[in-house]
Amino acid sequence: MTDKFFDLTRRTFLDRVLMASAGGVMATATPWVAMAAGAETAGAGKVRLGVIGTGDRGRALIQNIAKTRNCMVAALCDTYAPNLAKARQWVAAGTPEFSDHRAMLDTRGLDAVVIATPLHRHAQHTFDAMDAGLHVWCEKAMARTIADCGAMVERARTRGKVLQIGHQRMFHPTYLNALRRVKAGEIGPVTQIRASWHRNNAWRRPVPADSDDRRINWRLYRESSAGLMTELATHQLQVGNWFLDAVPTRVIGSGSICFWKDGREVYDHVALIYEYAGGRKVIYTSLLNNARYGCEEQVQGSKGTIEPELGRIYQEVPHRALALQRMQADVKRGHKRTIPIGGATWFPELPVTTPGESLGWGEYDETMLQFEGFGEAVRKGKALPGLLQQAYYASVASLLGEQAMDKGEAMTWPTSLVTV
Amino acid sequence: MRALPATGELCFSAMGTRVELHRFGGGAADALAQAERAIEMVDDALTIHRPSSTTALNEALRSRQTATITDPILLDALIRIDDARAATLELFDPTIDARHTVGWEALRFDRQAATISCADPIALDFGGFGKGYALDRAVLALQEAGVGCALLSAGESSIAVIGEHPLGGTWSFAIPDPRQPEATLVELELVDEALSISATIGAGSAAPERAAMLRPGAPSPVTAPRTAIVVDRSGAMAEMLSTALIVADDAAALRLHDGARRMRFDLTPAAPTRIFV
Ligand SMILES: NC(=O)c1ccc[n+]([C@@H]2O[C@H](COP(=O)([O-])OP(=O)(O)OC[C@H]3O[C@@H](n4cnc5c(N)ncnc54)[C@H](O)[C@@H]3O)[C@@H](O)[C@H]2O)c1
Repeated sequence: MTDKFFDLTRRTFLDRVLMASAGGVMATATPWVAMAAGAETAGAGKVRLGVIGTGDRGRALIQNIAKTRNCMVAALCDTYAPNLAKARQWVAAGTPEFSDHRAMLDTRGLDAVVIATPLHRHAQHTFDAMDAGLHVWCEKAMARTIADCGAMVERARTRGKVLQIGHQRMFHPTYLNALRRVKAGEIGPVTQIRASWHRNNAWRRPVPADSDDRRINWRLYRESSAGLMTELATHQLQVGNWFLDAVPTRVIGSGSICFWKDGREVYDHVALIYEYAGGRKVIYTSLLNNARYGCEEQVQGSKGTIEPELGRIYQEVPHRALALQRMQADVKRGHKRTIPIGGATWFPELPVTTPGESLGWGEYDETMLQFEGFGEAVRKGKALPGLLQQAYYASVASLLGEQAMDKGEAMTWPTSLVTV
Repeated sequence: MRALPATGELCFSAMGTRVELHRFGGGAADALAQAERAIEMVDDALTIHRPSSTTALNEALRSRQTATITDPILLDALIRIDDARAATLELFDPTIDARHTVGWEALRFDRQAATISCADPIALDFGGFGKGYALDRAVLALQEAGVGCALLSAGESSIAVIGEHPLGGTWSFAIPDPRQPEATLVELELVDEALSISATIGAGSAAPERAAMLRPGAPSPVTAPRTAIVVDRSGAMAEMLSTALIVADDAAALRLHDGARRMRFDLTPAAPTRIFV
């Protein structure tokens, strides 16, 4: 891709994001977008990031950071040398590498860190970075416990540092456009969101001879992860809260290790209902042995449905009366006949299979935009408004869901959360 | 063949169904939009699915308070229902009472003062009445806009026509027999009238639980498969009468039925088509 072409696609992407989030209602619902999309170019110099965790996600992030105009990777850190080696190709030659994040923090020369380590490390890495005077961009979910999520928020506040969590859907033009259409009332009041993340694989990675299962497959162990809840559901619970403009009041759920009885500790099937004020619900399922319904959030209102992953909107319009259409055609050709009228009939209640309408827009660079926004926030020393609250509540919701399943009890939304 | 009148149509979702407005000739350019607005105003006033004058009234009735009706559409709707009590043999009743012990007669409705109250907790759901009533208001809006020929439908169970068919003469409708797709229950000729069809059974579906209708004062829903068809100058009246016919016992149905404009059909598989000829 030439630089000019890249600039063009970048501009189109940003324009679409801005278009989707423009206007009073949307500006209130997505206050972070304008600041992120308006990020200035490097000017005085790029924001220098030290990446902790150069695994699968860390390396994807590094590639996205390279696309930004205002950030650069200035140091790499991973405890597992082969992953450091894999990351090297994406950064400037001679970029310092560390196996201990504290050593990286001690060397100075960084403005912020990017944390893409296993979940149970996020809190400690955040504390250490902030205590070293650095801003933090950390992957979702925030932390392994609700208390640690709150402590991260608190630490950012007391240290006066930016804490941004990687929920890229908040920068995704299709999601922004979906929200805009919800706010415009196009699908009526949203009363339910049915979300799923269904896959058909073990979610298990091969373990190289020089490592061990707990390190490589940290997602499958309770010490390091809440499994499907923190790794997958947290994205969709964020979308649920965002589109319902609320946090849940209560959650009930059931989890099981139902198919992959391979010694894993986390559920391979989860099913939960999150209740919201006014009787609204997010109904969530995730499982690992059937991929038919994939990853989707079905945002349901009395006038329509939006499915952002498919990028489609469906209107809840009853079928047109064919007889009346024929009557119109008859009249046009001067032909009069009896109009058969269906009467009080109903169609079998099968799923609607009409293709719906596209929500539009194909080029996505939301992860890049997250970092341009972060870079801008670091420069200004001021977090993008609204983001951290969304992330905090999404993490709390996913961990509360885990508790509901473990205890087999309804869990009410905690009253002890910190204020963001 | 005479010159064809200018035509136009508008389809939208309202009153929980698809509304279609077809106009032929005459009248203001924005007549259909005015009719749409009239229907939406009725929907806004009578809906129980979002905050409305009706939900506010239900809130008050549920807590045994006297509700003051400030919405002129809601007040007018209540007056029409009250006025139709005798004509429907008191069988059309928009009240919902979870215990099935009280109905419309328990309401104290003062139309002059525009207040309503009830000693027992009760709620109103205008259901099908709302569709007929909305069509009445839309017909009025179209006529005021100078439209002399139109067909309006709210779902396929509520129809209204203005004037004669665009090609002259009556509008003729055939109501199919839901048991046999090719057979017809009845053919009806309409001019400046409304048609309402109520049923407890639908085409190809033996699922009475989907259509249970409550007979006022009776503890159990009507599940016998039947269809009632009523033609009337007023869509609201047609709806109230067709609902009354559906829930009526045989003696009452005989009194309501007139064989030409108000009728009920037994739709059990082996039944002869009409209960009353
Ligand atoms: N936003 C998204 O769409 C998305 C997608 C995938 C993963 N993630 C998140 O990214 C994070 C990482 O996931 P992943 O799939 O890359 O996992 P991974 O196992 O591939 O990578 C984690 C890396 O962290 C390293 N690491 C572990 N402990 C460390 C320590 N103390 N110091 C330095 N490095 C250490 C590991 O060696 C490994 O290379 C998780 O929080 C995950 O939820 C987010």
